[in-house]
Amino acid sequence: MADQMQLCNISANNFEQCTKCSICTTVCPVAAVTTDYPGPKQAGPDGERYRLKDPAFYDKALKLCLNCKRCEVACPSGVHIADIIQRARMSAGEGKRASLRDTLLANTDLLGTAANLVAPVANATLGLKPTKLVMHSVMSIHKHRTFPAYSRTKFETWYKRHAAKQQDAYSRHVSYFHGCYVNYNFPKLGQDLVKLMNAAGYGVHLLDKEQCCGVALIANGLYKQARRQARVNAANIRQAVSARHHTVLTTSSSCTFNLRDEYPAILDIDTSDVRDNIMLATRFIYNLVDEEKIKLIFKQDYKRRIAYHTACHMQRMGWQIYSIELLRMIPGLDLVELDQECCGISGTYGFKKENYERSQAIGSTLFKLIEDAHVEAVATDCETCKWQIEMSTGLPVENPVSILADALDVEATRRANMISD
Amino acid sequence: MRTDTVIIGGGLSGLTCGIALAKRGQRVTIVASGQSTLLFNGGSMDLLGYIDGQAVKAPLDVIAQLPIDHPYRKIGTERIADLADQAKQLLEDAGIMTEGSANANHWRVTPMGVAKPAWLTLKSHVCIDDIEQLPCKRVALMCVRGFFDQPNGMLANGLQQMGFNVEKKEFTTDEITTLRRSPSEMRAVSLSKRLVSNSSLKRVADQINALAADADMMLLPSVLGDEEAFDTLQSMTVKPLRLVATLPPSMAGIRMQKQLQHYFRMLGGNYLMGDSAVSAVIDGDRVVSVTTAKLGDMPLRANNFVLASGSFISRGLTADYERIYEPVMDLDVDADANRDNWTQFGVLNPQAYSRYGVKTDDSLHCIKQGKTISNLHAIGSVLSGHDPIKMADGTGVSLLTALAAAQDILAK
Ligand SMILES: Cc1cc2nc3c(=O)[nH]c(=O)nc-3n(C[C@H](O)[C@H](O)[C@H](O)COP(=O)(O)OP(=O)(O)OC[C@H]3O[C@@H](n4cnc5c(N)ncnc54)[C@H](O)[C@@H]3O)c2cc1C
Ligand code: SF4
Ligand code: SF4
Repeated sequence: MADQMQLCNISANNFEQCTKCSICTTVCPVAAVTTDYPGPKQAGPDGERYRLKDPAFYDKALKLCLNCKRCEVACPSGVHIADIIQRARMSAGEGKRASLRDTLLANTDLLGTAANLVAPVANATLGLKPTKLVMHSVMSIHKHRTFPAYSRTKFETWYKRHAAKQQDAYSRHVSYFHGCYVNYNFPKLGQDLVKLMNAAGYGVHLLDKEQCCGVALIANGLYKQARRQARVNAANIRQAVSARHHTVLTTSSSCTFNLRDEYPAILDIDTSDVRDNIMLATRFIYNLVDEEKIKLIFKQDYKRRIAYHTACHMQRMGWQIYSIELLRMIPGLDLVELDQECCGISGTYGFKKENYERSQAIGSTLFKLIEDAHVEAVATDCETCKWQIEMSTGLPVENPVSILADALDVEATRRANMISD
Repeated sequence: MRTDTVIIGGGLSGLTCGIALAKRGQRVTIVASGQSTLLFNGGSMDLLGYIDGQAVKAPLDVIAQLPIDHPYRKIGTERIADLADQAKQLLEDAGIMTEGSANANHWRVTPMGVAKPAWLTLKSHVCIDDIEQLPCKRVALMCVRGFFDQPNGMLANGLQQMGFNVEKKEFTTDEITTLRRSPSEMRAVSLSKRLVSNSSLKRVADQINALAADADMMLLPSVLGDEEAFDTLQSMTVKPLRLVATLPPSMAGIRMQKQLQHYFRMLGGNYLMGDSAVSAVIDGDRVVSVTTAKLGDMPLRANNFVLASGSFISRGLTADYERIYEPVMDLDVDADANRDNWTQFGVLNPQAYSRYGVKTDDSLHCIKQGKTISNLHAIGSVLSGHDPIKMADGTGVSLLTALAAAQDILAK
């Protein structure tokens, strides 16, 4: 026993598993474009040794980390590099007040509720030159950034008015964690999911209560609020899973990753009992098709050439294969899978004036790949990648769920799944 | 999820096998826990470098002298030459241009300035046909100021001992100088990102041209991102230019890994980066499915499976205090049961563990509890019976066993 101690002696953040191979430093998008950032090895396992001795060794440059997790994906020794860095930021920053700008950017739902009420005004105002200049100088939000347009009707409102009633008619059911983006900016994606699931014979339900998943709160250091919201979400997901036996579907890779992995890893909120029941819709649908439980029939005349971009958090979850394989099922779709590169936006990071140039420099490799692919649109499962790629390449960016819904022959699919009207 | 073949491990051997299969129309899924040892590769492949400590001149001629359990003997001496040609071609199809032939080894130069026998070397990298008859005499070793991943003193000494007349020159440019602010990130990758545009390469060319004096050849650390950057720089230098490997992670290896991954994707392959095979369902003499950490309850099913999970460093093999084992399927391994025999004192001495690996039959099928598994091949470093360090046969074993297994699978 005594001589086996070493095997059991692994710390919670497993930094001692690091073999110092430096492989993580070759994939860090931030270290590649700036000398201000010490890189994942130094910021993560190496720095942790010092910080454990004395917290004064904390390096402010750690805030430059995008939390993109590319370092973790590359590490051959399974070190949770980015978690180490996030945790270090958290213990250095907890209790400190975030700036007004960061608080606003982080509260995607607050900002959304306000903007929905006055959507036409908000869209016009946020797009106006003088507003942008004020945001640039006073708020430190970069002037080249366009805020995603706000929708006049929230997804939840649309759902209650136009979809809720029909859902009970189906024999099988799922819940949907729509997230802020679908609710405030782009209800169409939620509508597309309902269309797709209904055609496959599934009723789609909302959670009793949903709050912003908090991914932006974590990134902006608002941990207390993130934890509060996470508890509400965890409870409501638990209700859907245990009382209604629903799988909880999502359409955003960042929300999904946050709910499943960051809640326990960063916020210490245990979701292990429901983790397996939270998943991206594409994974759920792929599995149904794979097990021949449903059929998807696509339009004969659908013809497009699209590039698929694997969002960093999507790669960290390892689920891009489901979105890609589903898109490959569309006969008229010519799909180009792009090599995995970071787009540089990383949620709210790229919105900040001080990060803008770095953010664009990081994304440049991806933008070049997209340009060289000669496609008419880009598919990705992350909404912030969408904003970044649309702004930087001019191409439309769509969620795979929307592409599937557009390409779907609804009538034929309903017939194939024996759904009567 | 079902594809024709599932490969565990996405390094040189897994990718080579995946490419060979995808090229012939198979749907292939590769699962890779993390980056591979290819990132440590300095730009050369070896087939067979040493037998009993003696440098090998003509690898094909001595394959028959290898121990019977060496992977090359299992493939069969007759097939080696053909597979070696195919491997070189496959690399070229992926955009990896090399010089060299299996008929005669040449010499590569390690970052520490040691000449070692090699089979293929990237065209941009220094490669010496005959160490007894050097291609030129005067070499200017261009050292990047502040770059620690190249031990210039040792490299210069080594080259000197080979018989070159070496002049060490130090240079820098504005782009390079800004990098020095963060010494921990002054690495080949960061340098390569800053040496892309024609103007930044021109600044390097201006610097090294001014230092070249009467050298016959300029050597530059391998810090360029791709062949294009090398060609551009070479077209601007006044003397022939060659790259020399840096300490790992090396640009040559990173580039090769990217190129192979890209080519595999272009052929329609699924590459699951950052996921790990954790267990498998085996029914009788066949693997039915492999479960991964991230796909969870949706296992990977296939007709054929390939284990390409590397050696200890990649966790294809694991050791605890009692035994050495293969962690995914607990396959039979060739390893000494007595822990005292695993290692011997002195890192540079031959180490028994470096020959350990999974046991296979003559067609590289894996074995579990004495029974052959008919649809599971093992390839690359996870195999027993070879020694990448003492025999310099690592990359050759990876490439050739990958191609041999692919042929076997396709012939079914
Ligand atoms: C430090 C070092 C330096 C080297 N330098 C050179 C050199 O300069 N020249 C040369 O010719 N050769 C060199 N070699 C040898 C050469 O790298 C190897 O022989 C060859 O590349 C091995 O390839 P492989 O694909 O078999 O294994 P690896 O490269 O080890 O790849 C194994 C892959 O499998 C993955 N994996 C492991 N377990 C699992 C799992 N359960 N699920 C999913 N994936 C898994 C790993 O993450 C990894 O991606 C070097 C080796 C080392 C260790
Ligand atoms: S890749 Fe992993 S093992 Fe290698 S230096 Fe980074 S953290 Fe350490
Ligand atoms: S999470 Fe991303 S930005 Fe942060 S250290 Fe890792 S690779 Fe770099």
